[in-house]
Amino acid sequence: MRQAGAYSGIHCGGISGKMGPHPLPLARIKKIMKRSGSGDEVKMISAEAPIAFAKACEFFIEEITKRSWVMATQSKRRTLLKDDVASALIATDVFDFLITLVSHSASPAITTTTNLMSMDS
Amino acid sequence: MAEGPVSPGGGGSHESGDQSPRSNVREQDRYLPIANISRIMKKALPANGKIAKDAKETVQECVSEFISFITSEASDKCQKEKRKTINGDDLLWAMATLGFEDYIDPLKIYLSRYREGDTKGSMKGGEVSAKKDVQPSPNAQLTHQGSFSQGVNYTNSQLKEFMVAQADKYLINSYFYEISASGSTRDGSYARPRIGDVGSCA
Repeated sequence: MRQAGAYSGIHCGGISGKMGPHPLPLARIKKIMKRSGSGDEVKMISAEAPIAFAKACEFFIEEITKRSWVMATQSKRRTLLKDDVASALIATDVFDFLITLVSHSASPAITTTTNLMSMDS
Repeated sequence: MAEGPVSPGGGGSHESGDQSPRSNVREQDRYLPIANISRIMKKALPANGKIAKDAKETVQECVSEFISFITSEASDKCQKEKRKTINGDDLLWAMATLGFEDYIDPLKIYLSRYREGDTKGSMKGGEVSAKKDVQPSPNAQLTHQGSFSQGVNYTNSQLKEFMVAQADKYLINSYFYEISASGSTRDGSYARPRIGDVGSCA
């Protein structure tokens, strides 16, 4: 249930305050929060909610980047491309909600990678 | 009343809540700054890794989508429970519900640290954590120097490693107790271990 293993390196780095309090702007996070839902759904936001999000977004970006990096190295590249991000999103279940973001601009490269992956498994 | 132009900048401190988000939102209102995102991405890559511009932009869109996705779920919960304010625990709950359980534990620690710093009135994050790191956890030291490790002839380093790991686990757990104790459930059925600091975790 409580597993410190997978992300312990990440959160220890964050807590020790090496990179300042919040690397992402809280006001902007709050704006995006207010925008979500259909209008007046989000009424008030507690002060610590954007702070929680600042950290959560950091984890989220790190996770996407690492998964995309795996895709890039599989293609023997050392540069992350949009296609790497797209195939990482498609390959990971929790990122299903993001698929529409990459699929409406889907390039043929993405579809071939998914085909390859489904053939592998 | 005329809707009029939205006043730029100015009073951002009070919650108005009824601005329609339909109007052409500027890009800098919809996304987090790409420089910050790029920095976090670089940190996650090996030193020789490079990132194409469109990859950064895709991640930038994803992050906004992530915030909206989690917020909607949390906001639904608040509506059901007839609460008007989304708080940090609602977000944690939403993340756990939507498959981001891995983020919860580190976030709880982060938030509890933040709250600690907040009550002390000094909000300069680095300063707070630096101060914390100075005083080591008394319990971890105790286990290190206790009679237990003297008598046994195991390889010292091995034993030490194990104990440090155990101490870390314990410290982290104690933080969860603290959070749930300060939260809504106030049953107090467990004796909350009071430990100086989680700083040795780094």
